[in-house]
Amino acid sequence: MALRPTRSWTLKGLAVLALAPLALTACSAGSLGSSDAGNSAGGTTITWLTGTDEAAQATAKAVVAAFEDANPDITVKLDARPAGADGDNLVKTRLQTGTMPDVFDYNSGSLFQQIAPANNLAPLTGDASVGAVQEAFTPQVSVGKDVYGVPYGTAFGGGVMYNRAVFDKLGLQVPKTWADFMAASATIKAAGIAPVIQTYQDTWTSQLFVLGDFHNVAAADPQWAENYTANKAKYAGDPNAVKGFQHLQDVHDAGYENADFASIKLEDGMRQLADGTGAMYPILSANVSTLQSIAPDKLGDIGFFALPGDDAATNGLTAWYPNAVYVPKTTTGAKLDAAKKLLGFIASPAGCDALTSASAPTGPYLVDGCELPADVPQVTKDVQAYFDADAQSPALEFLSPVKGPNLEQITVEIGSGIRPAADGAALYDQDVEKQAQQLGLEGW
Amino acid sequence: MSSTVTPPTPSVAGTGPAPVPTTVPPAGRVGGARSALYRYGVGSLAIVVSVVVFLVPFAFILLTAAMDATQASEFRFAWPRNFQLWDNVVQVLQTRDYILVIAFINSVVLTLVSVTALVVLGSMVAFVLQRRVSRWTGLINFLVLTGLIMPPAIVPTIWVLQRFGLFATMPGLILVEIAFGLSFTILLFRAFISTIPKELDEAAVLDGAGPLRLFFRVVLPLLRPVMVTVILVQSVAVFNDFQNPLYFLPGDAGATVQLTLFNFQSQNLSSYNLLFTDILLITIPMLLLYLFFNRQIVAGLTSGAVKG
Repeated sequence: MALRPTRSWTLKGLAVLALAPLALTACSAGSLGSSDAGNSAGGTTITWLTGTDEAAQATAKAVVAAFEDANPDITVKLDARPAGADGDNLVKTRLQTGTMPDVFDYNSGSLFQQIAPANNLAPLTGDASVGAVQEAFTPQVSVGKDVYGVPYGTAFGGGVMYNRAVFDKLGLQVPKTWADFMAASATIKAAGIAPVIQTYQDTWTSQLFVLGDFHNVAAADPQWAENYTANKAKYAGDPNAVKGFQHLQDVHDAGYENADFASIKLEDGMRQLADGTGAMYPILSANVSTLQSIAPDKLGDIGFFALPGDDAATNGLTAWYPNAVYVPKTTTGAKLDAAKKLLGFIASPAGCDALTSASAPTGPYLVDGCELPADVPQVTKDVQAYFDADAQSPALEFLSPVKGPNLEQITVEIGSGIRPAADGAALYDQDVEKQAQQLGLEGW
Repeated sequence: MSSTVTPPTPSVAGTGPAPVPTTVPPAGRVGGARSALYRYGVGSLAIVVSVVVFLVPFAFILLTAAMDATQASEFRFAWPRNFQLWDNVVQVLQTRDYILVIAFINSVVLTLVSVTALVVLGSMVAFVLQRRVSRWTGLINFLVLTGLIMPPAIVPTIWVLQRFGLFATMPGLILVEIAFGLSFTILLFRAFISTIPKELDEAAVLDGAGPLRLFFRVVLPLLRPVMVTVILVQSVAVFNDFQNPLYFLPGDAGATVQLTLFNFQSQNLSSYNLLFTDILLITIPMLLLYLFFNRQIVAGLTSGAVKG
């Protein structure tokens, strides 16, 4: 029986296990990184919390490098947070516990309203840093009269990416009304090409028909968003608002969707669009970056148009505004000054140039003096045209905090022919009710 | 738009050892062609099922990790067109100033320290609870169960940590992991200690062993089988934990391996080849743990059997 050695092995093993890592913790793990390269020239160091993915990091790094060149006495360190719901929770938690880094970027519009800006953020009203921000953007980062952020990135549109080669071959024009859209679809289908690409493996892509139609709703009824927030307007039964749902059903009923719509992802949809097996893909124009990585040689073939409504005269783009950079209230003193300088730099032509150098812009910057470079993708040029013509209005999520969590499931059902449009609209109205009550809105 | 890409679950492997295909002889029927058929049929079925459940996903990870970005975005089960596993590994390691290396050190430290503390504390508490029944036992049992039932609340926990100056430090996170794992560990140890005959304790006490000696010299060595279980279960739980490191140890210096998965995914663009390479690298330690402890499990079980 080898009991004795076993026993002492266990004890010694435990002791070693317990002590060795403690020794390791002492030499803090972060010291391994090369990012801490002793850059302490006596200046101010501020930390910026941004996305952890490659694109977000590369963009922030480009901005920081340009900013540090212009302000040698300030060092900006990057901190990272995940995207999606986890990132949302993290931002709220860190604001709530007073542990937010000196600067952070986050959504504008109704998500911005949910982080209790008046309690948690430092107001920038009248500060030089927000001087160049365009008026189209200011409402998205304001509570009452106070402004809290500067745009970080470019605006984009919700509409339809289309294959211009297919349109040229079939002699089609960009549709300005829904009737034109359906007529064009019929022609495309007759040519053996799937007219409308849908990708329900990524459920969020199914919402575009509803969310991207909001410009048309607002054009027909400018007060709609206000009434919607006050529980006076509903999707179901409203002749204007229900059309987004109805259009989705029409497309399915007419058999205009690609055959494998239920089982493919965003990337597959882009591939079909690029190689011309599909002609039109309702999606966000910002997703041109996906197209860029999948079919860089076909960028010139793909254009963009807004989802058409009934009236060609009010045709315009449903626009999404960029995220913004904010400063939490916990940033004070020299750090606050440095943070404001960073924000001012981001909202300046030099900042836009830094952003452009990191990634191709997908829409306008909403900062005075910022120009898009000449070689942007066709999709971006088409989006810019809507902004230049002022034929754009904000998406509903920028006007109203009411957004139900299950819209994507409902639109998948409608687009798959499982649920009729009117039924889906009514279901979505129920879905938003709980969320509105949680937010404590009046009238719900 | 609340469009978020759900991450492929990080804990793909390491959630359990491939079930050993058990060949259970049918009760009451020994020998004969039918029983052989039954035996081998069930055996091969178990093998097929475990291959489908465990090896196919792993093969998918491996293949995607070897693809280039374009092919990986197709998200198909296919042979890589350009086999570039090594390039992907290098790229993943280099991402954000070798943060994966830092994350590995952090995760290993976190897992080792918290699991060691869990085993030591859990077994001691369980021993006392099981052997010394007093009027406090009921209350303490209730508190242990409360630890299982109550969902952890993030913000109050952060307040407590802040007050003690432990927020955003590795010791703070280790304490959090210990707190969340302790209840389950105590329950496991208690159940096992109740099967150890009390006479053993009494014999040791009669021979002059004090309480510490009794525990460390007599009881603890007998706990080896359940200790292996606790180590495996808690190591996997702590190593694969995403939420606690995210909230309680913010900052790049404190990144753990699960947090690095988010380096490769975003709303518009996900580098699946790099993501899966990362998953592959993260999976390896837990896989090794299983291979290593496989023998220990068997050894622990047999030594327990001799003493029974």
